[in-house]
Amino acid sequence: MLAGTARAADLPKSEDCLGCHADRDLKRSAPAPGRPASVSVDAAALKASTHAGLECVACHKTATAPHEDKLPPVRCAGCHDKARAVLGEGVHGGRTAPARGAGGVTCSSCHGTHAVRPASTLAIETCATCHRHQVEVYAGSIHGRSRKRGNSEAATCRSCHGTTHAILAKSDPRAPTYHLNLPRTCAQCHADPELAKRHNISVGNVYQLYMDSIHGRAVSKSGLLVAANCSDCHGAHEIQPRAAPTSRVFRANIPKTCGACHAGIHKTYAESVHGKPSAKGGGAAAVCTDCHSAHQIQRVERAPWQLDVIRECGTCHQESLRTYRDTFHGKVTGLGFSRVAKCADCHGSHGILPASEPRSTVSATNIVATCRQCHPAATWSFAQFHPHADPESKARFPKLYYVSSLMTGLLLGTFAFFGLHTILWLPRSLVERLRRRRERGEETSEP
Amino acid sequence: MTAAGRYYFRLNLYHRILHGMVIVSFLGLAVTGLPLKYAQTSWGRWLSLALGGPFTTGYLHRFFAIITFTYFALHVGYVARLVMTGRRGIFWGPGSMVPQPRDAAQLVQHVRYFLGLGPRPRFGRWAYWEKFDYWAVFWGVSVIGASGLLLWFPTLFARYLPGWIFNVAIIVHSDEALLAVGFIFTVHFFNVHLRPEKFPMDPVIFTGRVEEEEFRREHPAEYEQLLTEGRLEARRADPPPLWLRNFARVVGFSSLAVGIVLIWLIITTALR
Repeated sequence: MLAGTARAADLPKSEDCLGCHADRDLKRSAPAPGRPASVSVDAAALKASTHAGLECVACHKTATAPHEDKLPPVRCAGCHDKARAVLGEGVHGGRTAPARGAGGVTCSSCHGTHAVRPASTLAIETCATCHRHQVEVYAGSIHGRSRKRGNSEAATCRSCHGTTHAILAKSDPRAPTYHLNLPRTCAQCHADPELAKRHNISVGNVYQLYMDSIHGRAVSKSGLLVAANCSDCHGAHEIQPRAAPTSRVFRANIPKTCGACHAGIHKTYAESVHGKPSAKGGGAAAVCTDCHSAHQIQRVERAPWQLDVIRECGTCHQESLRTYRDTFHGKVTGLGFSRVAKCADCHGSHGILPASEPRSTVSATNIVATCRQCHPAATWSFAQFHPHADPESKARFPKLYYVSSLMTGLLLGTFAFFGLHTILWLPRSLVERLRRRRERGEETSEP
Repeated sequence: MTAAGRYYFRLNLYHRILHGMVIVSFLGLAVTGLPLKYAQTSWGRWLSLALGGPFTTGYLHRFFAIITFTYFALHVGYVARLVMTGRRGIFWGPGSMVPQPRDAAQLVQHVRYFLGLGPRPRFGRWAYWEKFDYWAVFWGVSVIGASGLLLWFPTLFARYLPGWIFNVAIIVHSDEALLAVGFIFTVHFFNVHLRPEKFPMDPVIFTGRVEEEEFRREHPAEYEQLLTEGRLEARRADPPPLWLRNFARVVGFSSLAVGIVLIWLIITTALR
């Protein structure tokens, strides 16, 4: 440092350099591939920059001005050695980075040259110089639009991809956007109830639910790269709120989103009584998340989930649930035991078809086989039992209606008759008892 | 007080054992059946789980059903034996369980007595409400038993009957059981045990013996008939021993308690 200042007096001053480089038409003597031909310097930009206090020779090493030879390349690391070291670990500074495209990513790619800008002023436009498509998509996303509206907490490039120089490719297991790390990255904001409250985001405790779900466990416990993480369902740069028709988690788009991995099930579902109207945009038809939930997807073999789904079917099929609860099947599952027929055991799950369709599990063709899953000796006649009978419906079940009415009449008649009989007898019997006690009292009082 | 301490047999040991089976199986069926009928209520759920869940409860229910079918068969066999040994008055007469014109007349007379419009009817061996109880069991066991068997062996019966019969069986089994439980735990309990003259309970079903004074008051026609025919002394009984009286109290009050708790739960559920 001392040596530097001692020699500084001999070195050319910025004015000396600008003597030539202020000329707007100054060109290189020999063209350099990938670099601008102009070597003109905007002195005003330099004066306005963070480097305003530096002489030209601080970066452009030369002992004389003017100079004959081409100067050695500017080495930012001469001062910013730490930043260079960190950048070297990241995707922008790695050995592969310069090989990509012409010249690769250098400090100036982001920070500029003479008009050098501090990190805090770098915005998404900086990234857009190379990642134009991603930034454009991001700008239309919920995060991008929120930011545009002035919400300074909405995620920007660095929120997800990591800060400044150490940015890592999503294929790097250390990257915050790596498949197994992404849920934690999203959780920085989306597991923060305070932040959710500030911005009126109805997220609930999605992160905890997700981490306990079959997908979350596969990601966090097994490190399964094919298990869905946040971006598999919500998208990455293009994230939209679920109410937006373009969102991957918009109701009508959910089957397609889940089907990206669960292709076989999607194929079956698409032909089902739920899948067909859903594909046409039928808002009420059950989609994947109605039964499986969004973030707390569970193993389907587990009894608590199987029993919950019955209630879930009942949110739309209210009549069917009510009549099901009148049967042994419905009462036993209502008590928390899953060993009897549940909705899906008879109707199927993803491929539910109306009874009128011959391929349906409850069609006349297949109903006996369906019953035989549990009742091996079931016959055609056995299958005439109606598991959703409603004795209150005279039109649909006249026999049951009359049987039920008869029974009700029998009960009411018997209880009315004997109720009255009892009410009349009670005071008389009381009188009788008191009379008897009085008589007995008289008897004993006599000598 | 000349009559005090003099006892007569009203029910023989066979009657009492069979009624004991009725008590055990009826309470057992009620306790194991109601939790399924009321599976949607908190008490039904609690009771079902306390009994080991619906499957265990189902096994217990069928165990008590077997007791029911057994006493039913034993009773039918008993009546058949009486008929075959030439006993008279089984199907008609003052000692018969068969409803007769006299019963209708006594019902009317009894209601008039309730209202203070006439004297108490002079009942014979079986008062009309006792006959009703008897036939209610006959009817109940047949209807609930038959529908229960259908539901116990559905695939077997489906070979001979159409499947909708099981829908009917569910309704009939459930409603008829409610009728039986509701009737026994209110009307039968009141008529026999809880009405002020008998309160808190009549132990005759356990001891088999009735005190002379009560015999004359409750069944005067039978008492006088036995007296005039000179058969009264043959019915003389020793006073019930202490152990039998204690047995009657323990079993009787326990059964009453179970019944009253169940009917309380049913009524509060119905009123909710």
